[in-house]
Amino acid sequence: MSKFADIRIDPSIVKRAVRGEAKAHEIIYRAFSAPVYSVGLRFTRVPAHAEDLLQETFIEVMRSIGKFRGDAPLGAWIRRIAVSKALMFLRSAWHARGQSLDDDWDDMTPGNVGNHGVSGRPDEALDLDAALANLPEVARAVVWLHDVEGFTHKEIAGLMGKSESFSKSQLSRAYQRLRPMLASHVSAANAGMDEQLVRQF
Amino acid sequence: MTDNEQQDDEMDCGLSVAERDILHEQLLAMPDTMPPRVVWKRIEAQARAEGLLTGHHYFERYKWVAGAAIAATVAMLALNVPMISSPVTDPNDGATTVPGEITASSTRDLNALKVESQILERNLRLLPNEPTVMKVSTATTIQELQDRIAAIDYRLNDRTVQLDAEQEEVFWRERVRLMNSLVSLRYAQAQRVSF
Repeated sequence: MSKFADIRIDPSIVKRAVRGEAKAHEIIYRAFSAPVYSVGLRFTRVPAHAEDLLQETFIEVMRSIGKFRGDAPLGAWIRRIAVSKALMFLRSAWHARGQSLDDDWDDMTPGNVGNHGVSGRPDEALDLDAALANLPEVARAVVWLHDVEGFTHKEIAGLMGKSESFSKSQLSRAYQRLRPMLASHVSAANAGMDEQLVRQF
Repeated sequence: MTDNEQQDDEMDCGLSVAERDILHEQLLAMPDTMPPRVVWKRIEAQARAEGLLTGHHYFERYKWVAGAAIAATVAMLALNVPMISSPVTDPNDGATTVPGEITASSTRDLNALKVESQILERNLRLLPNEPTVMKVSTATTIQELQDRIAAIDYRLNDRTVQLDAEQEEVFWRERVRLMNSLVSLRYAQAQRVSF
């Protein structure tokens, strides 16, 4: 589970936050603001939207921290709120455009797909960020939730209000699109290893 | 691996093991981004408006710092103004006037300080995240610097107090000095983490 799992907050701070102490909430914010903001940025790619999501997430944390029972780490609980807010934002954006989550891939015409992050030169660094930017928003969110945050397809489906096959299909299509970039990286890595072996013998 | 997970993997087709490993590795290595500091102020303001927070108001908490900053401003003005600007006294009416060219020079200094401050803010944002574990003394120093910068920002943005150009310049100069310290400290911290 991404960076959220690495952050530990003392239970006494959580107790103080439950009482509404501003300083305790500020400590929690300072600990988790970067991963929460990053989730917002990965999903929306717009800093202003990510800031709004950060604000909404922490206001929700303040409203609901009394319900946090401490069974799971605080980071997992905050991560779920952040992801839920980000997905709500994506849904509302689609509603505003009069589109559904399903026809998201239709927007990705060959013209705006770009080069899938594949470098023109094989020795150039892998640009995963650019490749992810070329994915539709929902597919990017599914990749992030599945591969970084460790959500199962069932959980992703629940969060998105969709079926498990929808989540699987989005991931599969995203992988297909990322594949040329990954394959070129694997080839480059293999070529490097071959060269090393030749030098050794 | 459960049957479901195996099915998931089959569905996640199209990638070889090596490709999936690279994808996972690269995704997990993507760095987090620090949000602008102003977001916390917005959150705190909203939370207070909704009655979600108890304790002293943010600005009241830093009242003593703001008070100290004002006292420092007054002291610095008292010491520096005669040396820097040498106000001209008109012998006829006894009124004190400040030469125009000195005001122009102050404006230039003020703008330069604002630009320098912006550059430092940008440099700070470019630094890697703070490590989750750090020395208490370092954390305290960083917190103090941030608090003092916040107090200055509050003074500079307080519309109920009209600062003149010289007072503003003192605040901006102090802000740049504190930002320099903060950036240096965070840079040193990032260097230690990277080695």
